[in-house]
Amino acid sequence: MTHRRWFTPWLLVAPAAVWLLVFNVWPSLNTLVLAFTNAKPLGGGHFTGLANFSRALDDDQLADALLNSVVFMLVCLPLLTMLPLLLAVLVEKRLPGITFFRTAFYTPVVASAVVVAIIWGWVLDDRGLVNGLAQRLGVIAEPVPFLTDRWLLLFSAISLTIWKGLGYYMIIYLSALGNVRRELHEAAAVDGAGPVRRFWSVTVPGVRNTMLLVSVLVSVSALRVFSELYVLSNGTGGPGGRDMSLVMLIQLYSRGFTGHLGYASALSLLLLVVTIGPMLLLLRLSRKAA
Amino acid sequence: MRRFRAGAALAAAVLAAAGCGLGDAGPQGTAQGGAPSAAVTGEVKGKVTLQTWALKPKFTDYVQGVIDAFQKRYPGVTVEWLDQPGDGYSDKVLSQAASGTLPDVTNLPPDFALPLVKQGMLLDVAQADPKISDEYVAGGVEAYTYAGQQGVYGYPWYLNTDVNYWNSELMAKYGLDVKKPPTTFDELVAQARIMKEKSGGKVYLMSRRPELGDLAEAGVELMSADGKRFTFNTPEAAALLDKYRDAYKEGLLPRDVLTDTYAGNAKLFDEGTAAWTTGGGNYITSLAVDNPSLAPKVVPSPDMGVPPLYVQGLSVSKQTKNPAAAVALARWVTSPENQAAFAHLVSIFPSTKASAGDPFFSRSDGTNAGDAKVIAFASLAKAKMLQPVVVTDAMSKFVRQQFALAISGEVPSKQALDTAAAKCDELLAG
Repeated sequence: MTHRRWFTPWLLVAPAAVWLLVFNVWPSLNTLVLAFTNAKPLGGGHFTGLANFSRALDDDQLADALLNSVVFMLVCLPLLTMLPLLLAVLVEKRLPGITFFRTAFYTPVVASAVVVAIIWGWVLDDRGLVNGLAQRLGVIAEPVPFLTDRWLLLFSAISLTIWKGLGYYMIIYLSALGNVRRELHEAAAVDGAGPVRRFWSVTVPGVRNTMLLVSVLVSVSALRVFSELYVLSNGTGGPGGRDMSLVMLIQLYSRGFTGHLGYASALSLLLLVVTIGPMLLLLRLSRKAA
Repeated sequence: MRRFRAGAALAAAVLAAAGCGLGDAGPQGTAQGGAPSAAVTGEVKGKVTLQTWALKPKFTDYVQGVIDAFQKRYPGVTVEWLDQPGDGYSDKVLSQAASGTLPDVTNLPPDFALPLVKQGMLLDVAQADPKISDEYVAGGVEAYTYAGQQGVYGYPWYLNTDVNYWNSELMAKYGLDVKKPPTTFDELVAQARIMKEKSGGKVYLMSRRPELGDLAEAGVELMSADGKRFTFNTPEAAALLDKYRDAYKEGLLPRDVLTDTYAGNAKLFDEGTAAWTTGGGNYITSLAVDNPSLAPKVVPSPDMGVPPLYVQGLSVSKQTKNPAAAVALARWVTSPENQAAFAHLVSIFPSTKASAGDPFFSRSDGTNAGDAKVIAFASLAKAKMLQPVVVTDAMSKFVRQQFALAISGEVPSKQALDTAAAKCDELLAG
């Protein structure tokens, strides 16, 4: 006969619970409080009410950062939701040598975002591979300012994010595609549906929940983009700092001996709100579609 | 009722968190430091920690030798040496200060020391050691005195400044005489134009954009006398930015200079795409290791305006349990003999007055590295700390961003300067 003590389950979850409390819950609560103060890393601070939030309203760089983050998300969301699905459908087929392609598509995911961004920086630089080749072939007379034009820099970072993320989401879709019943495809084919029709009418409904998951993951990570923009702009945030993302702005304000922790925390709360918005919207759309 | 209790619990949690977030980080509990330190008396004994910045492994033997000699001189003292990596040093010091674990003696440049001074974490070494101004050069001591704070908060350790370095091969190839390098900004632009024309735009003479220090070098007052406001948004500063804008438009600077950091200039110089860079007195010695084929072709010349003064120093924690030993150690490491021995190993310059007459610094061995050392040593006499110590990384970044907008021509120079100065004021006010 087994004897169960009341505290056994608590004991089992204690390590994880303590970890969560110390490194997630406590910092989150602290951030919430700091957002209403003028705290500094040394010397604490005072409650300042909504001062940090009213300061945010007048912050031109925050407006730029918000715009960048939203553009980033709006471009990444459809592309990183659909392209990996198409890729997964392609590599799902059991063809000779398909493992090579699966591995090749997944390789960028394994590579460090910083290393990849540095390599892309070399490729897109004024004296880089792309401009060098294009000039040598006579396609362009002057180098294309991929890294020195506000929008080109942003879209270069978006391209990098998509290229790097394709493999990751492709793997998620591959496992989802395994759950789409083969008989449905066969029945649709018997009814005369071509590959495109089968894709829209069988594959997409079959992986709709996964698409929702991918959409949420993409939108959250797009709004929290940091490494790609930071490295491609050499940490400067692009010309005039107009290519900063929200996370870059938070990092800028929070670092150093005189970091503005209060304002950085207010920006963190704003990022939380901005991130939750699309998630709720996607969930709502999904419920409606269901 | 249950909802009310849940709300009360949340409020209690938030208030508890408030206690965490707003705690007074100063271990001494002084809201605004500057309280005079007690004179350091007592026997030199006990355990003290010495923290240096990226001196291992290159200078391990030197530092250990200095420590061994100190321990021999004061047998009752044990020194623990901590050397921190070059990257992330400010974060390391910040975490030590916030957690009350600042080493007894720490290598802190003046801008790192200031926030700790404001929190009353550092010892006023002038109180502990009234002769400090007699023994160390004025520029070094001034670097550790701060507006609104009484006292001196570090022993100046070693000094350096910037020297111009020219790639003689590229200059000769593209029609310039390395023996007549530019001595003013206008001459620099004129020579950059020649280099661009003769190299077909493949090689640049200018490859870095201006910083706040460049405005100061051009005679612009960066801050008001009381140190409470930035004043660099002057017509003179706008005129300098306009010159950069015109040079940029003419293609005299690489286009990615707008988003590049200063390391970009060094990289371009290293790969032979730029013919001019600036660096400390020991630049050629370092280059000889990294790029031995380029090093012999480099010719040094004095800075074009007021040379910048870079100061490193040793500060003593007010929390030290053995203040007499800590002060003695800081004095020992920064003594004329130990500084001179250090400067003989690497081209840095002692901050002690006794070293000024050392012919080692004023006489070149005939190599370009030796010439650079002599130029740097001579430049130190008129060198100044160009950038105020209150300028933070965030301020520098905003300034760079606005300067980039001005140079690209997106906004007028005066407007960019006004925006940058307003942002710096906002950050300064906290």
